[in-house]
Amino acid sequence: MTAAISHLDLLEAESIHIFREAAAQFRKPVLLYSIGKDSTVLLHLARKAFWPGRLPFPVFHVDTTWKFREMIAFRDKTVRDFDLDLIVETNQDGIAKGVNPFDHSPSVYTEVMKTLPLKAGLDKYGFDAAFGGARRDEEASRAKERVFSFRAEGHRWDPRRQRPEMWRLLNGRLGAGESVRVFPLSNWTERDVWRYILREKLDVVPLYMAAKRPTVVRNGQLLMLDDDRMKVQPGEVVTERMIRFRTLGCYPLTAAVESDATDLESVVAETLGARTSERQGRLIDHDQAGAMEKKKQEGYF
Amino acid sequence: MTAQPAKKAAHTTAVVPAAASPVSAVVAAVAPELTGMIRVLTCGSVDDGKSTLIGRLLWDATDLYDDQRETLQKGKKVDGGNPDFSLLMDGLVAEREQGITIDIAWRYFDTETRRFVVIDSPGHEQYTRNMASGASHADVAIMLIDARHGIKRQTRRHAAILDLVGVKRVVLAVNKMDLANWSEERFRQIEADFRSLSWRFGFWEAIAIPVSAVSGDNVAEPSKQMPWYTGPTLLAHLESLPSRVTDSAGPFRFPVQTVLRDIRNDFRALAGTVSSGSVRVGETLVDALSKRSAKVLRIATMDGDLTEAGTGQAVAIQLDTDLDVARGAVMSKADNTPAIARSLETKLVWLNETPYDPRGAYLLRTATDLIPVSNLEIRALLDLETLASNPSSVCGVNDIALAHIALGRGAAIDTFADAPETGSFMLVDAVTGASIAGGVVTEVSAAVAKAGADTFILTRAMLERGLCSDLRNLSSGDGEAEFRRRANEVALILRGAGVAVEIESPQDYSI
Repeated sequence: MTAAISHLDLLEAESIHIFREAAAQFRKPVLLYSIGKDSTVLLHLARKAFWPGRLPFPVFHVDTTWKFREMIAFRDKTVRDFDLDLIVETNQDGIAKGVNPFDHSPSVYTEVMKTLPLKAGLDKYGFDAAFGGARRDEEASRAKERVFSFRAEGHRWDPRRQRPEMWRLLNGRLGAGESVRVFPLSNWTERDVWRYILREKLDVVPLYMAAKRPTVVRNGQLLMLDDDRMKVQPGEVVTERMIRFRTLGCYPLTAAVESDATDLESVVAETLGARTSERQGRLIDHDQAGAMEKKKQEGYF
Repeated sequence: MTAQPAKKAAHTTAVVPAAASPVSAVVAAVAPELTGMIRVLTCGSVDDGKSTLIGRLLWDATDLYDDQRETLQKGKKVDGGNPDFSLLMDGLVAEREQGITIDIAWRYFDTETRRFVVIDSPGHEQYTRNMASGASHADVAIMLIDARHGIKRQTRRHAAILDLVGVKRVVLAVNKMDLANWSEERFRQIEADFRSLSWRFGFWEAIAIPVSAVSGDNVAEPSKQMPWYTGPTLLAHLESLPSRVTDSAGPFRFPVQTVLRDIRNDFRALAGTVSSGSVRVGETLVDALSKRSAKVLRIATMDGDLTEAGTGQAVAIQLDTDLDVARGAVMSKADNTPAIARSLETKLVWLNETPYDPRGAYLLRTATDLIPVSNLEIRALLDLETLASNPSSVCGVNDIALAHIALGRGAAIDTFADAPETGSFMLVDAVTGASIAGGVVTEVSAAVAKAGADTFILTRAMLERGLCSDLRNLSSGDGEAEFRRRANEVALILRGAGVAVEIESPQDYSI
């Protein structure tokens, strides 16, 4: 051996292997890019898998129009830096009907502004495989997810119809109407993602680092006012706080944590010592019991 | 190795979300990567307390998050006022309601030096397939039994499945010792039974440990109740085992996944993962199927070239001369090449609800090849308790069968004993795409079966003239892959119509 193989080397090699298998087996794959740290790692691994060539598939972003502004700026820079083919999909019908994260419940909002345009986009372009950054350590129902996760017609996920996976073999032969979600980060943990970002010196959205930002406390969660569409409610006080985000999504649905970690090293140090699992920062998951499993059955990631 | 910050003492501290920490000191402590990884399968039935055991491991190994701890503390309590640790493992809503674990669940935790991947598999006999698929990913298996009941037929089944899919290290966790009066006599008897059982298999190591998952005895902490036991705790034992894939001992195998190109720099390389052995720049590699060889010019990665690549590494190999090698080829060294298999003797576990159909259209997925099966013949079913093979021509879900597989064309395949990754396969239903069975190759035959008078030979010339006349650069790899795909599909259609068919293999026409 040239060097001792660390657990990150093993994870990296496994992910590259998965990318290459999927690209070879499926006719028209696409990479679902959500701009966050997991997507950043996903994209980096994809570039490694096909280096020195360009990515042999486009990247796809569902824009709810409620993402943090810094996320969109980061997305566009990434696309330029790595010469990517970007596809952006937005549910215009949802916007026309005024569906927004304030007046609609998280489950309705997610369905209309995320799940529907995702399905519509995949169908429109005829993608038969979509890479996603989901990890098995994220949530209980994901602990049983496959690397090649099959979706029946209508993108429905049926836990009972998933294909057994054995050894390193990946069977990507599709049945009629089937498509597949591919999860190269299946065996990574949140800590690995951060450790890897640090090791590979990857750029991430600055929102992951602490800075003074305008915030309010709502329902016990710390929210950032990213633009004037978010109205301050009676009794709420807008306060500049040193905050950062452990996950990134739509800003009205993404809670911040107070922090002094202004650079990547400090963020990783904080995260590796963190005592709360990351999904607590995502408001949609607390909507109902078994929320994630339900969302997956409906086609959400 | 440096310690991680989140240790036992943190259990009782209040939730402090992302509190400011002495950063520079912590970074040095947390940034290093773990030096190893081990995948641990746990098998046993619900009644044996399997989910509780893993939950206990997670709980005591301390990298659980506080909200997860809190959920558990708030939840219903089980025997002795302990939290219900099994809640950490049982994922799907349906399963939680039924109180059983159907599917394999993956869990991850870190100790100071290593990543533990816990693969939790169901114990019931009707889920043999889930257990087999889970076990195929494992480096070590924990077989859980109830001390009061001892070794049962299920334990024997489990050992047989572990052996079949290639697990080399097993631990018998003799659980519920608290309910067996912490009896040494009881444990020693079970241990002896286990020895005589495991002796029959190809395990490298098999040990028994007396534990109580509910109270945590001998899980992460030595038991005060069983001073007579002087061996390691379960966790200590698992930490002492060698890490996953650091051994590059076997014969060199490099299944080609795809061909990478960079036209600007005249770069063309074979992308893949070293599945066995290792390779150095300058060595001569041979494509078993075409018998053509070339020297390794570069072992390329985005992080720079390597001089050597070992088992488990994903790289791109550039050769000094372009071989017409496509996905599905297995590169090896001249002194030890895989066989060009035309037929296989196999052991397989039937995974699908649809039983074996002698007229079914099947494909064989090997490391990176997909080969039409010209004949699949079930010869016997394995009785997992007696290990006797009983002649049979039928096979259904959860059966373990001995099967003969004739391939529609030659393919580079090893025996599982020689090179596991190029000696294992999935049997795929050509129509639905479902994974029908997973298996290991016990014998490879390169002899081309005498084509019967009624066997239709799908020749290269025939395909090139018509169906594949639109394919350009047939020699560049891409065209070849598509050519093969079409040939496979034609073979499957013909076979479905009852025609015995053979695809002309590259070695039949090349050079």
